[in-house]
Amino acid sequence: MSVLLESSSTSAAMRRNFWAGVWRVMKRKPSRMVGVVLMAGFVFMGAFGPMFYPDPLPRDPNLITRPPSWQHWLGTDDQGRDVIALVVTGSRYVLLAALVTAVITVVVGAGIGLFAGFKRGRWDSVLMRLTDMKLTIPGLPLLLVLSTVWKFGSAVQMGLVLGLLSWGGVARAVRSQTLSLRERGFIEAARGLGLSTTHIVGKELLPSMAPYIAMNMLIAITGGVYAQVGLFFLGVLPYESNNWGQMLNTAVFRSGALTVPSALGYLLGPLLAILLLTLAIVLVVDAMDEIFNPRLREE
Amino acid sequence: MKRLAAVVTLLGLATATAACSGGSTNTSGSGGGGGGGLFTTIDVTRPGLDASGPANPWAPKGNSFQGYNAMKLGWVKNHLTDPNQFYPGIAASWEIAPDNSSITIHLQPNGKWSDGKPVTAEDVRTSIGLAYTTGSTAFAITPGAAGAAAEVQIVDDKTVKVTQDMTNPSMKFARGVMDSWVVPAHVWGTLLPAGFWDTIKTSRGEGADAEKAREEILALGQKVLAFAPPKDVSAGPFVLERVNPGEALLLKNKNFYNAANVAPDQVKFLNYSGNEQIWNYLSAGKLDHSGFVAAPADVMNRIKQAPGSNTIKGFSPVAVGMAFNQSKKPYDNVHVRRGLAYLIDRDQVTKVASPEGGTPAITTSGIHQKPAQEWIGSELSALEPYKHDVAKAEAEFKEAGLQKKDGKWALADGSPWKVTMTAPNGFSDWISAQENIKSQLVENGVDAEVVTVADYPVYLEEIAAGKYDVGFWLMALGPAPYDIYQRLYGVSNGWSNVAGKVTHNAPGKAGNWMGGAEEIDVEGVGKVNPGELTAKLNSASAEEAKPIMAQLARTANQDLPAIQLWDYVNTQFTNTARFTGWPEQDSDLLRLTAGVWIQLGMIKAKQ
Repeated sequence: MSVLLESSSTSAAMRRNFWAGVWRVMKRKPSRMVGVVLMAGFVFMGAFGPMFYPDPLPRDPNLITRPPSWQHWLGTDDQGRDVIALVVTGSRYVLLAALVTAVITVVVGAGIGLFAGFKRGRWDSVLMRLTDMKLTIPGLPLLLVLSTVWKFGSAVQMGLVLGLLSWGGVARAVRSQTLSLRERGFIEAARGLGLSTTHIVGKELLPSMAPYIAMNMLIAITGGVYAQVGLFFLGVLPYESNNWGQMLNTAVFRSGALTVPSALGYLLGPLLAILLLTLAIVLVVDAMDEIFNPRLREE
Repeated sequence: MKRLAAVVTLLGLATATAACSGGSTNTSGSGGGGGGGLFTTIDVTRPGLDASGPANPWAPKGNSFQGYNAMKLGWVKNHLTDPNQFYPGIAASWEIAPDNSSITIHLQPNGKWSDGKPVTAEDVRTSIGLAYTTGSTAFAITPGAAGAAAEVQIVDDKTVKVTQDMTNPSMKFARGVMDSWVVPAHVWGTLLPAGFWDTIKTSRGEGADAEKAREEILALGQKVLAFAPPKDVSAGPFVLERVNPGEALLLKNKNFYNAANVAPDQVKFLNYSGNEQIWNYLSAGKLDHSGFVAAPADVMNRIKQAPGSNTIKGFSPVAVGMAFNQSKKPYDNVHVRRGLAYLIDRDQVTKVASPEGGTPAITTSGIHQKPAQEWIGSELSALEPYKHDVAKAEAEFKEAGLQKKDGKWALADGSPWKVTMTAPNGFSDWISAQENIKSQLVENGVDAEVVTVADYPVYLEEIAAGKYDVGFWLMALGPAPYDIYQRLYGVSNGWSNVAGKVTHNAPGKAGNWMGGAEEIDVEGVGKVNPGELTAKLNSASAEEAKPIMAQLARTANQDLPAIQLWDYVNTQFTNTARFTGWPEQDSDLLRLTAGVWIQLGMIKAKQ
């Protein structure tokens, strides 16, 4: 981990005390702890959750679309399966696709931003016009059109498409950050020492921006979740695996969750999952902000 | 939960009281001669009102509502076995020749258009001309089409005679004629060029001239579909007043022949885009009538609790089947199909997918269980019912040479087997059913998955192109015997019937996606060619049809091109709070719109 500093000197003491600082920041607002625990919970749920349930999930045709009960805390779906089990087993697709989305968004966005900002000139013009064009393409309508020709069979495919549609903002922001950093003394010094561009970008610029990029990545995860859940909810994608968006679609359009209260649990399951995931990410980003931005610290 | 229910109920009441805004409220007037105020409904056949849609019954997004401001010669009765029974519409009475060669139609003597002009035989002739351009059963220009009209003759101002081309007759000829829209010649007549009827005559021949004539007629069809009359001129009980994106308003047509018995003064069609909106309208007690809409059990119960809510159930001549593409392994093996039939518990599938809208099929006969008794009698009980039986399923799979490894069934060569079922998006009951079947199969060692496609048109296109292994297929489309079996042994299974000549196409060719065998050895019957048998039904009388139906039922039962899952039940939603006189349970009016019930004078305002 490195540190983003507004001043031109790095503080060795701060580096030593980094983890202590992290702990202090976490302690100051308990909500941040909650965020981290939730985040860890979601990671665990996506990675290992489905292993705790048999495949196929147990079902009871006599308990179709039941409201919450002791037996089924969030009720059952239209096939008589437990909603919580569905939320857990459906998390893998959603989280994996969101993660792929975030990774692609950040890698492509940061790569283009760094390169354009550092090189400037013609490269910058070409790449930024490309980014501008990308930014003007409306995401959801394009996805709707794409969904008619592409089936998004796997979570990775889904993430790939969403990622390639959402790197524009990151690229612009990283470029601005690079333009500002490249004028700083330490970069001047590195250039004066004749260090290679690769070294300067990789070892000097990137670490300074890592926290910023990491935060963007977390925020991109929420974007990825919203986009794919929206697509499944609208029913424009063929569904082959259980996932939160599909659950919302079924709850509303097949089980009448907006008409009868019995299907409400089925609707709330995926909604709560999305809400908690967003909350976790917001809280963790809040903590990261303070960790990496010393001005925010009340020390 | 209780509190939530109370809030929802309160909201429902609030919207119900607000439902009458925009039209006049009900006055407790006299039943006869109107005074019934506002009648609220939806058009179940068309989601989404188009405010700029024309008052054109042929336009896909038109604002012509069947039975209200769009009229047909007659209204087809929902009869179990006879396709040629009608209620009067533009026609007051009709005579069908004993040999089905012609139908003579007598128009309503007092029939008038909403602009005061009388409805004449010329209007009917012009409308038939327009029907030729848009393609219709009796007025088809395809050479040799079954049950096509040969001649349209004006007998007098109120009488029209339509003669059938007897080279390829159909039992459904009269139905094809009577089930036609009638529009005013003084508004629509300009669409048909001079010499149009000569072009029709030419088009019936062979060669280049006939081909050119057919192209001309089809080109006219595009104009007809797009035609927007400057103002709605209706011979029905109502006439279109205005449409906005939220609702269409129709006012009573004072010139309607039976206006004295039309209760409502106004009709409002509410806009909707999906079933869930209709559920909300119904549970708020907003609609006086809605046609069948699939609804889960809880939603159905909620609808029944709405004030004045009333459901009428009746026969719906449709069943849904799980059909196989026999060009794909292992579905070419009849034992695999039979094994699946034993393995799937149809009662459970229906309970999960269509608890209100379907009855589990008692067997696979290809015929809906209600008319089956009339068509095949005792033969029905002789058919294999394919009751849910895992042991029998396993025996059939073994017979087919499938292997069971680690509790999972694999193909004969050991490669994995996955039953991939496809359904169109939005068909909630089909998707629910396939999900349930998937679970049932997986629990018994048969790997399965459900895949959805964008919508029904795409589904039909792809299934016809042979892209799916297994898909749901509507079958038993009664009441005409030929229609019932052509779903299993017609074009989709390789038999095309052109000009009365039946030919068989190889699997994958000319729409043959089922790919069944051309000849089947049926126990107790012998070798049969089911496609040829089906074609015979086209011109057979009801009595002649019965033995053929029995043979086909046996064939479908043993050969299983599709597993009949459930037979549909028609559920109509009505509301007795404002109007009375609704059809009885099982009435033969149930597949017609409330507009037809109103124009026949059945519906009365509540006193």
